[in-house]
This record gives sequence, structure tokens and C-alpha cells, in this order.
Amino acid sequence: MEYSSLHRQLATMKKSFFDQGFLDEQFFQIEELQDDVSPNFVEEVVTLFFKDSLRLMGNIDHALEKFPQDFDRLDSLIHQLKGSASSIGAAKMKNECTVFRDFCDKENQEGCIRSFQKVKKEHACLRQKLENYFQLLRQVGPVAKATRSGN
Amino acid sequence: MLDSEGAASAPEFPVGLRVLLVDDDPTCLKILDRMLRKCLYHVTTCSQAMAALNILRAKKECFDLVLSDVYMPDMDGFKLLEHIGLEMDLPVIMMSADDHKDVVMKGVTHGACDYIIKPVRMESLKNIWQHVVRKKKNESKELDNSGSLDDNDRQRGVVDEGDNASSVCAGNWKSVKRKKVEGKDDDDDDEAVEEHEDPSHAKKSRVVWSVDLHQKFVNAVHHLGVDKAVPKKILELMSVAGLTRENVASHLQKYRLYLRRVSMPQYQGRLDSFASCQDSSYGPVGLIDSFNVHGLAVSTQIPLQNRTSIHPGPRSNTNVGIGASTVGQLGLIASGAPPNMVFPSVQQMNKQMSNTRGSSSNIQSSQLGQTPSVVQPYGSMSLQFGEEMPNFLTSSQTSNFSLPGGTMSEQMNKSLTMQQTHNLPQFSFSQPRSNISILHSSGQLLNNNASNSSRFSSALMQQTSSNESSNHILGRLGITTNITSSPANYMKSSFSSFPQDLYVDAQSSFMNELSGNSYPSASCIGVSPQTTSFQLLGSNHDLKGKIKMFQSSLMSHHNTVATVSNRDNNSSVTVKEEIISLSNDIDVEKTTSFAQHKNANIDDDSIRLHYGVGPDMSYQDVLLDDIQNELMTVVGNQQQERTGNTDSMFDYSV
Repeated sequence: MEYSSLHRQLATMKKSFFDQGFLDEQFFQIEELQDDVSPNFVEEVVTLFFKDSLRLMGNIDHALEKFPQDFDRLDSLIHQLKGSASSIGAAKMKNECTVFRDFCDKENQEGCIRSFQKVKKEHACLRQKLENYFQLLRQVGPVAKATRSGN
Repeated sequence: MLDSEGAASAPEFPVGLRVLLVDDDPTCLKILDRMLRKCLYHVTTCSQAMAALNILRAKKECFDLVLSDVYMPDMDGFKLLEHIGLEMDLPVIMMSADDHKDVVMKGVTHGACDYIIKPVRMESLKNIWQHVVRKKKNESKELDNSGSLDDNDRQRGVVDEGDNASSVCAGNWKSVKRKKVEGKDDDDDDEAVEEHEDPSHAKKSRVVWSVDLHQKFVNAVHHLGVDKAVPKKILELMSVAGLTRENVASHLQKYRLYLRRVSMPQYQGRLDSFASCQDSSYGPVGLIDSFNVHGLAVSTQIPLQNRTSIHPGPRSNTNVGIGASTVGQLGLIASGAPPNMVFPSVQQMNKQMSNTRGSSSNIQSSQLGQTPSVVQPYGSMSLQFGEEMPNFLTSSQTSNFSLPGGTMSEQMNKSLTMQQTHNLPQFSFSQPRSNISILHSSGQLLNNNASNSSRFSSALMQQTSSNESSNHILGRLGITTNITSSPANYMKSSFSSFPQDLYVDAQSSFMNELSGNSYPSASCIGVSPQTTSFQLLGSNHDLKGKIKMFQSSLMSHHNTVATVSNRDNNSSVTVKEEIISLSNDIDVEKTTSFAQHKNANIDDDSIRLHYGVGPDMSYQDVLLDDIQNELMTVVGNQQQERTGNTDSMFDYSV
């Protein structure tokens, strides 16, 4: 019983991610890749993303500081981050990257700095949410598997 | 190999399709890898384009398809695509989050079989096998005139292609490559003829342009000259058995297209080399230190030695290189080089700059970011420039700066302000200014009247060598050198673009207007290199504001300078006249420049510039006084040597 309530909790949580626009359908694609062969694929990928994106964001921070007028460089960096975010379905983060990119196109340094703050914020926010999600999932997971196989 | 897998359980194609996946993003790589495996493909992953190329070169036969990202750090995806097309003739699918039409078009023109937009979905990957089939089919169609194109053949073709891939035969690969790249219809006939002529090629063997073979080809082509190379001669030079003229012909065609295509990315490469050229030109930057000093010294009689000693190291920043050359020009001018000389070089500089700028600001940035001390040269540069390139300040061309003023100027200003205030105690602001005006005048004179100016400058040189103005100048240099590194970076970038604009403007101004026009700007720049130049870099508005300030101060200075120089030197009489005319021109210029520049948000920017000098007017006053003092000193020395009427000198005073 508690499992199903956990399940429900998980489902609600996940649904909220989508409803609030944190994740998009690409996340479903990732989930579909998870199976017996790769049972923790989703969490692995998400963890990998958040780790690598920290590196990318560090590069952007550095570029904003040292080469704030180098919009080509900034554009290239944000493109990387955006591609990465979109690959796991991090919708809000991806959108903020697009805003950043627009500012780059307009060579609006202020805009770039501001929107990058937003990018970082979305990054942190999503990270927190997904961490909670996976924590919950871990509680449910093995049981769920057992339940499934038991069925 | 498909065979072995087939033998195990006869999996249906495309199971076991051997894919090479290339993507620098680890997240994407992991996801795509998983997706491809889910499609039951055999996947090899690679996070670097060069590594992928090496793998392919070593084991081309082991792959059916390449899936590559477009934007990768070590190599452009399109370049990789070219290489694969030239050397391996494998179907390549490009991927990118970038869905701009021109990028997709680029993929097509570079020979990609397909272009997938990221984020990639499973569905997109499920069908990538079709490209392999299509390619084989087209190949077999070409190679197998009489062969049927049933599935067995196709599959066999896949296998056989791989098996025979290493054989160097005539023509077969051409059809495949042709299909892959833009159609080269003229190859069809060749191949068809070849087919008939070489019945042994019914087996779909083809010429595989291995790295060695391709290298021989390239060597031969370059030996003959890319434009003059003909297949027959290339073939002779290559002297490879089994290679036909047709093979070479189609490969040459492909190669020529490749060269054309990579001439764009080579622009980047050129930039890189250009950047490195800049580096080498930065050697001259080091010269700037001495050069600028020389320039300054020449024009202002400030001992070069002092200058150099003061700022030995920092000058040799990369960015300075650009400025250095500019300064060098100025130095030349100062030393009496004909003004025309300056312009050509300036033009070259401009060209260089524009190249740099046009191509990518990255290079500049990278150059710029190298040393904080860039600011230093800049300061001196600005001195030089200011003097020589007055008009750029006023000219609207300054807006051509690739580097937006905006924040950079702010940052620069802030740091400058910090630095300046710090440095101020060390050097009186006025001191540098006075030097500038001197320089300006000399510069102006030089520009306007080569002979006269050179005489004048030399006169100045002789006179000022013992002046305290040298201290000023040095001090001024010192100020510039003390600029912090963070603005330095900015400055560097702005610097690199700065000189360009300077030159552009200066040139045009020189050419089109009397030097007087440039004079005010020059002095503006020179006077407050930190503020003005940075301002200039940062924003045209700032510059304009500064120009205004300086112009007014310059006016008075001009007169003074003119007077002074007049007195001392017979040759400087002409100079004096020039200066006077310059002064007039400055007025004109001032008006013009004000008219030209709509905005003069000096207030905003000038605040940042506060070196602790105080409001603009006092700034100018100080400047004026100092300049006058300097001039007097200079003149005084000359006076000792010659006789002149001092009366007229002060008549000009503002």
C-alpha cells in the first residue's frame, strides 16, 4: 500500500515537472531507454548532465568575465549547453539558453549576463527537483521491480 | 561484421549495423549510444572528431555508417564529413541542435546523407540504415551493370564493399562518392566506360583513397599547382599501379570542391594563423615599448631609454602587437617618415584588423585575454594613436568596432578608475597630457607636412630630450601600465579593434581633412589614454565626450604649441603655421565631430573615468597648463639654441 502511495507520489511529482514545463517529452525518450539492460539509465544520464553542465556553465561564467564582448564565443558555449539540456528534456533551461542566445545575437551584454543568471537558476532548480525525484524513485524502484516481476 | 553476426542468428538487416558515433557532449553521447543499441546497432562511440577520423582510417571496413555532431571543439563536423567523404566514402549523418537552414544546407552540400535535429528521438535513428542501403545500392548499380539489385545483392554488397574496400581499383568508389557528394555527372560516363573496360571490376572493388594514396595525390596536385593540375599529370606523378586517370579525375574534382569548401573554415585557420601572426607581430609589440617610446621620444623628445625602462615587459602583449605596428607607424612618422608611409601601413593594419575583426572576435579575444598588461601598451598606443589618428575619434567609423562598448567600457573604466586614482599620485595627469599635445602637434605636423613635420619633430626631439616632459610621458606611460588586468583584457580586445578604427579614421581623416581635425582627437586620446582610449574602446559616446573635452583644451594647446615651435625652429615656422591651421581645423573639427556624433554620453562614462582629476574642465585646465609648460620648456630649450621672437608665441594663447 505504501508502495502504491509512493508510486502515486512519484507519478504526481513527475507530472508536475511536465505541467510546470521543467521537462518536456524528450525526457520520455530517455525513460524509454531504461530497461533491464540499463536499469538506472535515466538517473545516470541526468547525473551526467548536471555534472557536465556545471563545466559548461563554468566556461560561460569565465567567458562572461574575461571576454564579455566575445559574443561568438558565448554563442558557441551556450549552444553546447542548450544542446545538452535539450537532450534530457530540460525544457526551462533550454528556453533560458535560447534567451541568452538571442542576447548574444543582439550583442547585448547586460542581457546575456541577466539571462545566464536565469539559466543557472533553472539549472539549480531542476537539479533539486530531479534529485528529489530520484530519491523517491530509489525507494520505490526495487520494490516496483519486485512487484512487477512478482506479477 | 555482418557476416559473423548473420552466421550466429541470421539477424535481419539492419541489425548489427556498425555505427561510429561522434559527439563531444557526454550526455548526448550516452543517450545516442543507448538509442542506437536499442535499435540493435553495433555502436562505437567517440567524443573527438580526430579520434573518429583515426579510427576510420584504421578500420574503415568495420563501419557502415557515421553519425556525427556538427559543432565539436577539435574539428568542425563538416570538415570531418569532408574527410570521411574523401578518404572513406562512408555515409555520414550530421546531427545538431542548430536547425538553421543554412547549416542544414551546409550539411547537404558537404555530402551528408542526412541531417538530424537534436534532441534526437529514437524514431530518427531507427531508419538511419536506409542511408547505408541507398549508398550500397547506388554503388552496386554503378559497379554491377548487369547485376541485379535484389536484397541479397544489397546485403552482400554491404559485406563485399567492406571486404574489398582496401583494394585499389579503378573507378568504383567514384560512383559511391559521387552519390554521396554533389552529383558529378561527368563521372558517370567514366565509370560506365570503366566498367566495360575492366570486367574484373564487376566485383565492386573500388579505389579506396587511403591516407597514403590521398597524400600522394595531394603532393602531386600541389607540385603541379592546384589550378594547373590535370589528372593525367597527377597520375604520372603519383605513379600508383592500378590507378586510372578517371580515378584521379573524379578524386581531383572532389578535392577541388573540398578545397573551396574548406577555404571558409580555413578562414578560421587563417585567423588562427593570423592570430599567431599577431603574436609574432607582438614581438614588435615589444618594440612598441621601445617603439612607442621612440615615437614619443621622437616627437616629444622624451628619452626613449627612459620610456623603455619604465615599461619594458608589459608592452609586449599580444594585442599590443596590433597597436605596436600602429605605433610603429607613428614612430615612423615621428621620426620623419613621410606621411604617406604611414597610411599604407595603417591601411595594412586596418586590413589586418578588419580581417581579424571580420573573421572572428575570438581571436582577438584570445589574443586580448593573454596579458593584463595589454592595457599598458594601449595607453602608450593611445598616445600614439591619439596623436596620429585624431579623426577616428570623431569619425563615425569608430562605431565599427566589433567590440561593443557597453559593459566593457564600463568595466574598463571602473578598473581604470581604480587604477588611475592609484596612479595619479605617481604621475601628474597633466604631465602626460602635455606630452600628448606635444606629440599631437608633432604628429599633426608630420601628417600635414612631411618635411616640415619631420623637421619639427626632430626639432622637438632635440629639444625635449632633456625635458621633464619625458617624465611626464614616462609617467603617463606608467599610468597606462598600471592598469589592471581585467580591463586589460577588455582593452586588449578593444585595443585590437581600436587601432583599426583609429587607422581607418585616421587615414580618412588624414586624407580627407586637414590634420587639424585629427589633432583634437589625437590629443584627446593622448591626453587621457586611460579614459579616452578606454572610453573610446568602450563606447564611441565616451570618446566623443572626451574629444569634446580635449578639443577645447587642445585648441588652447595648439596655439601654444604652434607658438612654441615657431619660435625655436626655422623649420618649425612652417610647423607653426600648420599648427595654427590645425587649431582652426580643430575648431572646425570640433564642430564637425559634435555634429557627427549624436550622442555624447560623456557624463555617464566620464564618471567612470574619474581618475581623481576632477571635473572635466579642471582636467582640461590642468592639461592646458601642463601642455603650455611643456611647450615652454621645449621651446625654451630651442630658444637657447636659436633666436626667435617670443612675442608671437604667446599671442596665440587661448
